[in-house]
Amino acid sequence: MSNGNKPGASLKRYAAVLRGSIMEALSFRASTFLRIAGNLIYLLIIYFLWRAIFDSSPVDTVNGMSFYDTMIYLVLAAAMFNFMDTFVVYRIGDDYQTGQIVLYLTRPIEYQPFLFFSRLGNCVISFFVTFMPTFLIVYFVTKGSIALGINLLFFVVSILLAIGVNFCIDFFVGIICFYTQSVWGVNIMKEVVVSLLSGATIPLAFFPEVFRKIVDVLPFQAIYHIPLHILTDKTMQLPDYMTSLGIQLFWLAVMLGISRLFWKGSVKGLTVNGG
Amino acid sequence: MEAIIKMADINKEFKVLKRREGIRGSIRDLFSRDYQILKAVNDVTIDIMPGEMVGYLGPNGAGKSTTIKMMTGVLEPTSGEILVNGRVPYENRTRNAQDIGVVFGQRSQLWWALPVIESFRILKEIYQISDRDFKDNLEYYDALVGASELYHKPVRQMSLGQRTLCDILAAFLHNPSIVFMDEPTIGLDVSMKSKIRELVGRLNKEKGTTIILTTHDMGDVDALCKRIVIIDKGRMIYDNDIEHLRSYFGAYRTIQIQFDRHAEDLDNEVLQQQALEVEAWLRSEFAGSESIAVSMEENWIQILINEEEVHMMDVVNCIQKQRQIADMNLQEISTERVIRKIYEGGIV
Amino acid sequence: MKKEKRGFAYYAHIYKMILLQDLKSKMSYRADFIISTIGILFTDVAGFISFWILFQNFPEIKGWHYYEVLFLYGFSLMAMTPVQCFFDNNWNLMEALYTGNFMKYCFRPINLFFYFISEVFDIKGVGQFIFGVITVVYSWNKLGILLSFRNIAGFFVGVISASLFMIAIMNFAASASFWMSGGTSQLMILMFKFKDYARYPIKIFNRAFQIIFTFVIPIGFMAYYPSLYVIRPEEVTVLTYLTPFYGIVLVYLSYLVWMKGARQYSGTDS
Repeated sequence: MSNGNKPGASLKRYAAVLRGSIMEALSFRASTFLRIAGNLIYLLIIYFLWRAIFDSSPVDTVNGMSFYDTMIYLVLAAAMFNFMDTFVVYRIGDDYQTGQIVLYLTRPIEYQPFLFFSRLGNCVISFFVTFMPTFLIVYFVTKGSIALGINLLFFVVSILLAIGVNFCIDFFVGIICFYTQSVWGVNIMKEVVVSLLSGATIPLAFFPEVFRKIVDVLPFQAIYHIPLHILTDKTMQLPDYMTSLGIQLFWLAVMLGISRLFWKGSVKGLTVNGG
Repeated sequence: MEAIIKMADINKEFKVLKRREGIRGSIRDLFSRDYQILKAVNDVTIDIMPGEMVGYLGPNGAGKSTTIKMMTGVLEPTSGEILVNGRVPYENRTRNAQDIGVVFGQRSQLWWALPVIESFRILKEIYQISDRDFKDNLEYYDALVGASELYHKPVRQMSLGQRTLCDILAAFLHNPSIVFMDEPTIGLDVSMKSKIRELVGRLNKEKGTTIILTTHDMGDVDALCKRIVIIDKGRMIYDNDIEHLRSYFGAYRTIQIQFDRHAEDLDNEVLQQQALEVEAWLRSEFAGSESIAVSMEENWIQILINEEEVHMMDVVNCIQKQRQIADMNLQEISTERVIRKIYEGGIV
Repeated sequence: MKKEKRGFAYYAHIYKMILLQDLKSKMSYRADFIISTIGILFTDVAGFISFWILFQNFPEIKGWHYYEVLFLYGFSLMAMTPVQCFFDNNWNLMEALYTGNFMKYCFRPINLFFYFISEVFDIKGVGQFIFGVITVVYSWNKLGILLSFRNIAGFFVGVISASLFMIAIMNFAASASFWMSGGTSQLMILMFKFKDYARYPIKIFNRAFQIIFTFVIPIGFMAYYPSLYVIRPEEVTVLTYLTPFYGIVLVYLSYLVWMKGARQYSGTDS
């Protein structure tokens, strides 16, 4: 993401930003513990809810998803939500409304990557605090239904791409706040759209045909559906993995491009109107 | 006359968290924490008379706001006796609040999105101000600062100066007997500062309101306060007339010197170096006198001396022997300087 | 002489004043209001779509059918309205404590909780209320519930009582910020997420969760127990009848905890 002249120097800068954000995230002890506890309770609710749903069904597998598949999918989606929900829209909206954003333009560090790295700390913490424990619990609860093989490697790559796509969408939506004066409203719309169309609330496999076709041509599936699909679908072969990652990479490139263009255009407006 | 605020041997202690350093420290903090007892206010005794305007000074974290919070009933002291308007404030917070006003320079207490006059009307209800008093005060404010021009503007659209002005007026609206002001002139430009000072001075005189003013701005103190109280590290280190303070330091002088005609072109480091040299010369020449202090301010080397200990001419001669002085100034000590001296040295 | 005690009329009068003024000023942020209202509608429509997709795949959950669950959903949306309209400032509590702005609420001769909460009146919730009403009417119709006095009165008493639970839960969650340093909005987010499960009949969960959702995080009262009175009168339990009383008790308790927290907070700030 950096396009500075000395990649070494700017990398160091971003590493410092990342380190600071990790320490900041850790300093909220109550928040950290609450996140662990909340995630566990959530996991249990999902378990019993879907247990009841599948118990009422005459068949064991619905649209190719068994109870365990659904369970793994939804619980890990919830754990991933902690990476994805990084308040970027609020941050940009706030920086805009307080006029801080103009200050960032004068810094020797670019706003978009700066924001990315100052939020990445939260992702790192979430990975250890919520994702790993959730993963292990789900692994044991579903009695090893998650295949542990090459898919894990692709899954990690896929998650990183997903974080990138999600960030770019957030960044894009954040800039929309320059024009609407409404941060909360814009953000909630984004959250709803993303969590429904990315498969975070209901696995995409359950979607009716028509819906599925629409969702397939939108970038949101790259956030939750693809990584979780890579992790859970045991029938995938190397070319399938590559296609999936390719789709994510494609959306990352598109969203990065669009968000940067939008940023450039909007900043021009900022400097002309003086914020 | 009975004191309106009485504090006797007041102490206030807090438990504070000690944080560890680095990422590893942050992780350890998750699991075990060290707390420390901090004495924010230590044996403070103050009596304040009705109608007084008291400057309450001290460096950041000295315990100023803790004291104010105890006087307003927000905090309960760990020990000691406190009476405001004859009542124990923390036992009667709302009753006490009826008789006091509070102004924060940095944060407005008015409703952000409402026109000021609407905020005033809500305050009228909250404090149950009679129609007559309300009308009288609005007329008075208009005569005082032409306030009615601002009444229909929401606070969020105001400049900081206008906002502060309105906040001050709002604090006096219910004719409180005491008003606490926390840095009312912070962030304002010079002309607005003097406008606010004039307003506060007149409110104090004409309404007879007791005012406790905390500030870092010596201009506020010089313009408004007869009496000052200084607190440092929770202890009261001074409580007397401002004149007394000045006379106490009457023998102090500040000598400003420059060695170069164009000192403003010099590097800060070079000047710093010169100051250090000067200090070394004076230390060896006048080993016995502890009052000598050398510092740097805007291209000038400043030497603070106590004329009861050393003579000004001796100091100048001593320096002149080492190096040619290009330019020189002599100043009486300012209140600001005196107070800094007290913070630093603990001279009482 | 000024009165020492301030009664209900005093507070009602002040609240009305603030509310009317606030509405006036909200009009100057019309774009924000419209976008936020649409945003909430988005959430509700998405919730509706989720149900629809779910029931496309699974015709029933432990004997509960689409329209019954939809009824619970609409019911819970209506019950959410008061907390969203009148108690929204709880979301700003943590920030106010963090920045020290909370202090300004402590200097007025007026109840602290009232003063803090009265500051924000949020009309975005109204859109959600309307969506809730539509959902309830639609499923009421599809379920063929009799439009009798018993059912209608029971429904309204139910919705109002149910709304008390969300108020209490959010008060409890917000007041945690008084004791825990920083970042506790996490707790409010968590509670806010849990309320999404109020739309399922809690009977479908296992025993432990039924107890938790009844007594610990009482979201069972936000739709399930009071709704039974209308949609499944034969399954009504004593908890259904207890809903209004329990709701009042919980709101009062949450108020006490909030106030205790506020006093305790002032004791640790520097």
